[in-house]
Amino acid sequence: MSHAGTSGESPPAARRRRARPPQPQERAAREEAAEAAHEEAAEEEAAGERLRQLSIGDGDDDDREHNRMIRSQYRELISTVQQNREAMLNSKSNRLTEALEEANRLFDGVCRAREAALDAHFLVIASNIGKEKASELHSEMSAFDSTAFAEDLLTFMGINRTEVEETDESEDIPGGFLPTGAWQTIGEEAPKYFRRAPTFHYMMGSFKSEPPVPKQRIERQRKASRRKAERAMPAQLKKMEESHQEATEKEVERILRILQTHFEDDPNTPISFFDFVIDPNSFARTVENVFHVSFLTRDGLAKIKLDEDELPIIEPIKPSEGGEEEDSRAGARNQVVISLNQKEWKEIIETFQIREAMITPPYQATEEEMETE
Amino acid sequence: MSQRKRSKGLGCSQLPDGEDDFIPTQVERRSQEQLNQKVSELVQFLLVKDQKKIPIKRADILKNIIREYKDAYSEIIKRADRTLQEVFGLQLVEIDAKRHIYILINNLPCAQGELLCRGKEQEKMGLLLVILSFIFMKGNSVKDSALWEFLHLLRVYPGKQHGVFGDVRKLVTEEFVRQKYLETTAIPLTDPPEFKYQWGPRAEKETSKKDVLNFVAKMQGKDPKFWASQYSEANKATT
Repeated sequence: MSHAGTSGESPPAARRRRARPPQPQERAAREEAAEAAHEEAAEEEAAGERLRQLSIGDGDDDDREHNRMIRSQYRELISTVQQNREAMLNSKSNRLTEALEEANRLFDGVCRAREAALDAHFLVIASNIGKEKASELHSEMSAFDSTAFAEDLLTFMGINRTEVEETDESEDIPGGFLPTGAWQTIGEEAPKYFRRAPTFHYMMGSFKSEPPVPKQRIERQRKASRRKAERAMPAQLKKMEESHQEATEKEVERILRILQTHFEDDPNTPISFFDFVIDPNSFARTVENVFHVSFLTRDGLAKIKLDEDELPIIEPIKPSEGGEEEDSRAGARNQVVISLNQKEWKEIIETFQIREAMITPPYQATEEEMETE
Repeated sequence: MSQRKRSKGLGCSQLPDGEDDFIPTQVERRSQEQLNQKVSELVQFLLVKDQKKIPIKRADILKNIIREYKDAYSEIIKRADRTLQEVFGLQLVEIDAKRHIYILINNLPCAQGELLCRGKEQEKMGLLLVILSFIFMKGNSVKDSALWEFLHLLRVYPGKQHGVFGDVRKLVTEEFVRQKYLETTAIPLTDPPEFKYQWGPRAEKETSKKDVLNFVAKMQGKDPKFWASQYSEANKATT
C-alpha cells in the first residue's frame, strides 16, 4: 500500500503540483530563509505530502468514498466520449478539448493506480479521436457536408417540412413528413447511374403439368353409359320376372278360353287355324300364339285337322267326350312341325284377309281393340 | 431443338473467318456443334444465376455446365461472353481473378426513361446509390457507425424495421455485401469490433466515381467541380 502511495505520485502529477505557486506565507518564510533552509523545507514538504498520501492510501472510509467518486466520474467521462464519438469528430466542435480539460481536472484528485489506470484508458480514447480528427484535416477530400446532403436527398424525395414532427431523436434529425413514395422517387433516378444487367425471367413462367381436361371428359362418358346401363337393367328385370313358366301356362289357358268362347258362339263352324293364331300386327306374337296353341294340342284340349280345302282348322275338345279312338290316337300319334317366316306370314294375311288378331295380346288388349277399330 | 438452331446460327458467325484466333488443339477434338451447345447452355445458366445478383463461381460453372469439357473451359467462356454481348448486350466480367468469380453487367449505356428493374429492386438501388455516394465523398472508406449515423438522417435505422426495406441492417451488411456492391472489413484493435465499408467490385464495374459525383451534384444543385478533390479523383479514375 505504501508503494501505491508513491506510485500515485506520477511525474506529471508531481510536475503539476510543483507548478502550483506556493502559499504566500510559505513564500515569505522561504524568502527569508537561506537556500539550504529552503531546500530542506521543500524536502520536508515532499516527505510530508508522501506521508499524507500514505495515510490516504491506507483507506479511510472517506477516502474510499472519494476514490469511488473519482472512478465513477472517469467512467462517465469515458462513456460520454465513446458515445458521442462522431459529434467529437466534427471539426466544428470543441468537445474533445473540453473532455480533455475535464479529465485533467479529475486527475488532480487521483492518488492511486486504480484511478490512474482509468485516466490512461481515457487518454487512449482521446488520442484516437484526436488522430482521426487530424486525418480528416489532412484528407484530400474537399469538405463534404453529409448533413446538407441528407437534407437535399429528403427534399428530392418530396419531404413536407411544414408539418413538424416531435420526435425523441436528437436535434440532428430534421422535422418533416416523408411521403410513402419517397424511396420510389430515388429509385427511379438510381438506375441511370448503374450499368446493371436486367434480370432474366421466363415470360410464361415455369413449366407446369397439363390440366386434367381429357380425363374429365372420359369420366363423364363412362358415367353416362353406366347410367344408361342401369336404366336398362330394371326394364329387363321386369320382363324377366314375368316370363315364367306360370306365365306360359296362364297364356295357354287364356287362349283356350278364347277358343272355347268363339266355339260356343258358333258351335258348328270350325275356326281356321290361320285366322286364329295369326296376329296381323306382330309377327312375333303370331309365333307365340302358335307356340301356345301347340300346348293345347299336346294336352289334348284342342285339335287341328284339315278341312275339305285342305286348310288347317282348329277346334276345342270337350273333356266330357268319351274320345273316339281314332281321334285320340290320331292326336297322340301325329306330330306336325310348322315353319313360318315373315314372308309367308304376310302372304297369309293377304290371302285370308286377316284384319285383326283373334288372340288378343296379353298387355295391350284394350289398346289393340281400339287400334283395330 | 430451337436452341441448337440458334447456336448453330451464332456458331457460323463465330467461326473465325480469317481471324488469327488461337484455338488450342484440345478444342479441335470436340466438334464445333458440341462446343456451341455448351456455349448456349452456359449463356442460359449465367442468365438464370444472375437473377439474385449474387456473383457466379467458376466451380459452379464447371460442375453444372462444362463437366467433361473442362479442357475447353476458357474457349467456352470466351464464346459465351461474345454471345452475351452480341445477343443480349450484357458482359461477363471476372471480378475476382484469384477465386474466379463472375458477374453480368449491362454493356449498353444507361438509357433514360427505361424501366429495366421495378419496384422493390429500384428502391434498393436508390438506397445503394445513396450509400455509395456517401462512401465516395467521405474518402472511399467509412466506419459503420458513421454510415448508420448518416442513414439516421434519412429515417433509416439499423435496429428498427423499415417500411420499405424491412431489416435494413441485414440488407446493407448481408445482401449488398453478398452481391459485392459493398465490401466490409474489420478495423483492427477495436473493441467492440468495428467495421469499415468500401465500394465492392460489382459497384466498381457497374458504376463509376464520376457518375456518383454527378448524382451528388444533381441532388445538391451544385456543379461537380465544387468538390475539387473528389472531382479530380473521379476524372482520374475514368482514364
